[in-house]
Amino acid sequence: MRRRLIQILMLCLLALFTTGCWDYTELELLDFVIGAGVDADEAGIVLVTEMAKTTGVGQETEFEPVVLSTKARTLSGAAHSLSVPAGMEAFWPHTQVFLVSEEVAREGMMAVLEHILRAWDLRSTMNLFVTKGCTAEEVLKSKPPLAAGVSQHLSSTVRLGDMRAAFVPQQVWQFSGDLAALGIAATLPVVQLVHVTGNLVPVVRGAGVFKKDRLVGWLDAEQTQIFGLLKGEEQRGLFVMDTTVEGETFPITYEFVHNVVEIKPRISDGNVRMQIKLELKLGVVAAEKANFLDRAVTNTVQEQLNRAFARRIRELLWLVQEEYNSDIIGFGQVLMRKEPKVWRSHADDWDTHLRKLAADIEVDCRIIFTGLRAEPFAVRN
Amino acid sequence: MSFWKRWKEKKAAGKQREHLSTSLESNIRWLRSNLLADDATIVYRLLRTKGPRPRDCALVYANNMAKHDFLSEHVVAPLMSSAPPKELHGQGLLDYFMQEAISSDSMDTSSSYKELAEAVVRGTGVVLVDGCGIGLMVDAQGFEKRSVSEPQSETVVRGPRQGFTEDLGVNVSLVRRKITSPNLKMKYLYVGEQTRTKTAVMYLESVAKPDLVDEVIQRIEQIEMDGILESGYIEELIKDSPRSPFPTIGHTERPDTVAGKILEGRVAVLVDGTPFALTMPYLLVEAFQANEDYYRHWVLASFHRLVRYISFFLTTSTPGLYLALVSHHPQLLPMNLAISIAAARKNVPFPAMVEVVIMGLVFEILREGGVRLPRSVGQAISIVGAIVLGDAAVGASLVSAPMIIVVGLTGVAGFVVSQFNDVAVVVRLGLVVLAGLLGFYGFLLGGMGLMLHLASIKSFGVPYLSSLTSLSVQGSQDTLLRSPWWKMQMRPRHIGAKNRQRVQSPSRSRRS
Repeated sequence: MRRRLIQILMLCLLALFTTGCWDYTELELLDFVIGAGVDADEAGIVLVTEMAKTTGVGQETEFEPVVLSTKARTLSGAAHSLSVPAGMEAFWPHTQVFLVSEEVAREGMMAVLEHILRAWDLRSTMNLFVTKGCTAEEVLKSKPPLAAGVSQHLSSTVRLGDMRAAFVPQQVWQFSGDLAALGIAATLPVVQLVHVTGNLVPVVRGAGVFKKDRLVGWLDAEQTQIFGLLKGEEQRGLFVMDTTVEGETFPITYEFVHNVVEIKPRISDGNVRMQIKLELKLGVVAAEKANFLDRAVTNTVQEQLNRAFARRIRELLWLVQEEYNSDIIGFGQVLMRKEPKVWRSHADDWDTHLRKLAADIEVDCRIIFTGLRAEPFAVRN
Repeated sequence: MSFWKRWKEKKAAGKQREHLSTSLESNIRWLRSNLLADDATIVYRLLRTKGPRPRDCALVYANNMAKHDFLSEHVVAPLMSSAPPKELHGQGLLDYFMQEAISSDSMDTSSSYKELAEAVVRGTGVVLVDGCGIGLMVDAQGFEKRSVSEPQSETVVRGPRQGFTEDLGVNVSLVRRKITSPNLKMKYLYVGEQTRTKTAVMYLESVAKPDLVDEVIQRIEQIEMDGILESGYIEELIKDSPRSPFPTIGHTERPDTVAGKILEGRVAVLVDGTPFALTMPYLLVEAFQANEDYYRHWVLASFHRLVRYISFFLTTSTPGLYLALVSHHPQLLPMNLAISIAAARKNVPFPAMVEVVIMGLVFEILREGGVRLPRSVGQAISIVGAIVLGDAAVGASLVSAPMIIVVGLTGVAGFVVSQFNDVAVVVRLGLVVLAGLLGFYGFLLGGMGLMLHLASIKSFGVPYLSSLTSLSVQGSQDTLLRSPWWKMQMRPRHIGAKNRQRVQSPSRSRRS
């Protein structure tokens, strides 16, 4: 019995030394940070946070977002001093979104990432965004029409998988992984403020292109869609394209159903070419006058789609290769994986090689369904 | 009476007398002044027979313990109207009364004062005859007893409505009616220096291990106690791991449950004066088995058994988990829940741990109050408790609303596994303290300690977790789930080892 007692006491004693980095805390003494953003300032950095303020007790509890900002020379210093305006301990693990203003992103993301990756209480599954044409503070202070706060609005937008053809979401671990990897450059989804019924509403659309850790340019929504297809991101959502059927041109609305991309390097005479093969399965949502029961019509439409997508891909490649000179599609990684020897000879001067990198593009679009009707709806005279 | 005779009697009375004398007067005097002294309930009815040589007799019995009508009709009247032949005396006279006068099917004789006195206080009528050194014991026990009714603590929707009563004879017969086999063996033991409580050990000879039966009998015989008023006394005195809160001996009020356990090879102990029978060995799985499981469809029974396991986890762990999450790891809570709990706790003056302990205590107070008070008052207690707990305390910000949910869930889940109701309180408290001090680490530490403890205890030589830890299909058929009867061909391995075959193979082949 005595031995058993000693054993139990020893176990309890050991427990005290192995409790790790948590401690007793009271939930009501914490201020929950649900979203944060970083703006640049002459003195250093401005950290803007959206916090959850609750009012009422019991069933009448209401949640209201409050935006606070602190200034400091570094982000860590700003985060630390947040407790002063908050009045209680800022609790970061529930932060869902992190916005970086255009100015800070152009200066370089190192300072921001250093803080996010080192802090124990920030999750690497936070969604990162870059703002365009506005500051992070302006975004966080805007009024989304339905959600309780901007952070909730942005994270629910990211969760809307069906509608996200206009952006490619990036969590902290994905973004930092791309920055740290060879042969690939990073992007971030863009948040803009748009006027909707008199209010400024944050909208996620497009992508910010990074070279190393600096923002160098933008992709619009349409380019981002193509970028998503080339990255192999499963696309959902609709797009409209003017299509000519039997000599008449009218818009048809298509829906992405399935997309597969294959990118392979081809070496001929020491030159590298990228072979891009994109397979798209599409549905027709609204066809107006096209009769898809006619095989010839379907073939014509598919050919036009093939051509249009090939053109768009070429335009995007020109933009990122020539203008931004940033390998956001990850051609370097493909080369490294498939042709390591060639990559080694190109790695040192990849930026130059990237500009000259030619691509063979092959697009295969197939219309696999046309909704509940195959032929256009006709009104009887 | 001559001086010589009186002197002899006086001399005999001075010694410790063990056996009856031939003098009726002396015997009655001895009983009145020694073994049955100062007992107003003892009746001494003097009689005289008819015939050529009338004999003096006495009927001694305890008032309200023996049946008056029976004794008057079958003992007093026949004795008074009998006419024993003149030449009969001693054993012959007694035989005459037994065979020709007294009409009772249960009679015995003894010459020991002690035995006769014990028989009297148990409700037997003792007939003493002048000139005869032997007393006649006529079984006439007849006191008020409760009729067989459905047990309050173990009600069923489907199943027999019979429950044990306080009368051992009735209880034994209830079990016997379930198992009408000569294999069902029974041994009576008398326990308690003063109470001499009659205790029956029942088992199925062809199935129960002889070692087990001997061990049970030996442990009961070794009990040294002045009185046994309930089977709980015996349970506590003979159980394994007496310091553990986990029961290693089962108790039930239902004859069908006892019969089921006996059929598996267990030993049942029935104690006079209580409707609670004991069964042993008792394993952890038995707490989660209900007799109704075996009366209804096995799929439903299995589902409800799983619900019982989940409920036990909930009743022991909910406060601990809540405390660990709220006080140590709020980052593990979904954001909306964390904010909602924080809002609910905003005006509560106590730390979460104090809140958990206070609410746990309040719940136990209400439960104990509800159980001990008469049923009508008990209901009032629960209403007051529900209002005080559910509404006023939250309204006054003394406790937070999530805490009420935690306590409510803990309480309701606790009633699902009634056999472990008391154990759950101890385990819960331990986990609350550990989780409150060390968070999830403490909770897991407590859980591991609990598992180690359970793995280390045994019940009558059978590991407490056996069956539950069995890797064989046969061994785990009646544990987390209940297999259909036509699949359960074997008895539990450690218990019915003497004869494991439960179902004969022909029915198995027919089914499969």
